[in-house]
Amino acid sequence: MKFADRIQKVDRRIIYVILLLAVVLPLVFRLGFKTYTTTPVEDLYRHIDAAAGRDDMSILMDFTHDPGVLPELYPMDLAILRHCFERNIKVFTISFLPQGAAIIQMALSEVKEDYPNIEANVDYCNFGFKPWSLKLPIMLGMGDDIAEAVETNSEGLKLENLPIMQNMKNYDNIQVVVEISGSSMGQFWVTYARAKFGVDVAVGLTAVMAADVYPFLQTGQFIGSLGGLKGAAEYEQLVDIFAMNGEEFSKKKARNMSWVEAQYKELPELAQLYKYSKARIGMDAQAIVHVLIIIFIILGNIGYFLDKREQKKNM
Amino acid sequence: MKRQIPLMIVLILGLLFVAHVFIPNKLSSDYLDWFMKWMKVIGPFAIVLGVFSLVYVHYNKIKRKAPTWGYSIVTLTALVVTTAVGFIWGIQEGTPYMWIFKNFNVPLGATMFSLLAFYIASAAYKAFRARSIEATVLLVAAIIVMLGRVSIGQAITHWIPDITEWILNVPNLAAKRGIALGVGLGMTATSLKIMLGIERSYLGGKD
Amino acid sequence: MTETIGIWIAAFLTLCMFSFLYKDNPFYKFAEHLFVGVSMGYYIPYTYYNAFIPYAYEPLFLKKEYILIIPFIIGFLYWFRFSSKYSWVSRYPIAFSMGMVGMGVPMNMHANVLVQMRTMMLPLNSINIILIFVGTISILLYFFFSKAHKGVYGKFTSIGVWFMMVGFGASFGYTVMARISLLIGRIQFLLGDWLGLIK
Repeated sequence: MKFADRIQKVDRRIIYVILLLAVVLPLVFRLGFKTYTTTPVEDLYRHIDAAAGRDDMSILMDFTHDPGVLPELYPMDLAILRHCFERNIKVFTISFLPQGAAIIQMALSEVKEDYPNIEANVDYCNFGFKPWSLKLPIMLGMGDDIAEAVETNSEGLKLENLPIMQNMKNYDNIQVVVEISGSSMGQFWVTYARAKFGVDVAVGLTAVMAADVYPFLQTGQFIGSLGGLKGAAEYEQLVDIFAMNGEEFSKKKARNMSWVEAQYKELPELAQLYKYSKARIGMDAQAIVHVLIIIFIILGNIGYFLDKREQKKNM
Repeated sequence: MKRQIPLMIVLILGLLFVAHVFIPNKLSSDYLDWFMKWMKVIGPFAIVLGVFSLVYVHYNKIKRKAPTWGYSIVTLTALVVTTAVGFIWGIQEGTPYMWIFKNFNVPLGATMFSLLAFYIASAAYKAFRARSIEATVLLVAAIIVMLGRVSIGQAITHWIPDITEWILNVPNLAAKRGIALGVGLGMTATSLKIMLGIERSYLGGKD
Repeated sequence: MTETIGIWIAAFLTLCMFSFLYKDNPFYKFAEHLFVGVSMGYYIPYTYYNAFIPYAYEPLFLKKEYILIIPFIIGFLYWFRFSSKYSWVSRYPIAFSMGMVGMGVPMNMHANVLVQMRTMMLPLNSINIILIFVGTISILLYFFFSKAHKGVYGKFTSIGVWFMMVGFGASFGYTVMARISLLIGRIQFLLGDWLGLIK
């Protein structure tokens, strides 16, 4: 068999094994690559951080995603919740998918175990699941009155009686809606809630959708975005180097890699937990696999062109 | 009665919603409140449709002893058990319902989609060919973005993440905006067609 | 104990799913069908507790807002979908919920078309803004099929193709990233939560 043929006809199972090794090895023997942060992620962090310590401002997290995209989006869920709990930012959570509501419960309990002082319905409120067919009525209703539109939290308690709702009326009290999903659900918030009530919207997306949001970032319809595992890793890093170390956000500092490295050395124990750095650890493997895929593309094309040249010669 | 009245309902409610957007007064705001209140009562009933459809399909498979009907028993049992657990022990954190979610739903859902990683790696090797100049441009852009989004790109040269940012913020933005404008106009046109009864396939049935 | 059992079950189901990479087999089929059933099992209890009780049952039966009997009945009409003779009755609740498309007409036009166009009309004072402007216009013209793509016009529309290829390339790069991330997540579970090799 000729070289070109041999390259072209590699068994797919060999490719699978190489891919598996490229994922496993960097995870076991950690490479410790540092990620760099980008503007859409920094903008979202800064925007959420502006609500720190305020009783009349909260963020609304919409978890309309299911387990299929969890490896990409769950680190975002944890990082944003951790940011809010660390900086005393009020949080509302909602999902228009039943599995999304279960993910909210998972994420809240996972972060809450490290913040024993954070109280349900005081520091955060889980609105739970609302059927997809009610997304527009609820989205629009919250523009007038959140408690009236949503009515009850996930435990069936009336929102109007909850302590967290005492200074919260409508979108004027929502710093930003963060839609975390693997679909174009963020577009609904922009089309209806932002257009009608002017609420700021940001998205946490699977990487598949990440390139599509740039026109909306330029118009300011999305004030920020987290794209896939890389976006989650960036947010994890910002939470660690600023919120966990009690530092005020500064874009200049966030981009200064030697300052970032120094901040990592001073991290409290809580920030070093594996669950809070999953995206960054995952990015080590991601880097190796990206190089591997590029090698695959180049090798495949070398085989293709050699084969083509051979065919031309034989004609 | 079968088709005309539903179409009239869509038209009238639709026109009232158009008016609601353009005329913000008490009457139009009351209309939205009324619609929301009613819709919240109607909405939950729709969920049952999806579940019933699944039960119907798998029940029929078992009844007809269709090929692989045994797996339909797995599906129905899983559906019934999960639902029953939710009703018996509740749906809050710490219940068996959440235990099933963490240990069944999460690994199954996440792993099913992770299989795509192997297929995309195989496709990268066997199918992504620079057959034309346009395809080459696509591949080069993809390679730059792949390198630029991970730390190795940054380690090679800071130009790679910089070019990646430029690609995303300039040519990619222009391309996605062109497409977004088309999609936006298409969505507006489709909404208008539904409201005016030109598009009526969502009603289903023939008569 | 229950946590350990749960992790072992999750690991077993993960491996069942991965077995499809070798070939289709009963373990994969079992896991696939189990997934469908379990996933659907989250719809009814969540809808019952988080939507039906607060939005339908309580207002109607506890607060005695009897007017809500009308939407309650309309909601029930959905279920006629399964009757071959009376399935047309289910069109009433569908029509009611579709009424909201009226709002979609001006809102979609505003958010997805007008705002995008307004941002395109920025002063053309930098190379990047000129490139975005030229790229968007050439793409829009590329999809305008009422004029033949020939001569100068044809050359201009072909610029749109180049922009789209770069855009698709960016999406493709990100798609690769997405798929790999999903695999990384599962391997992190197997190596970390199950085998304890990563901490």
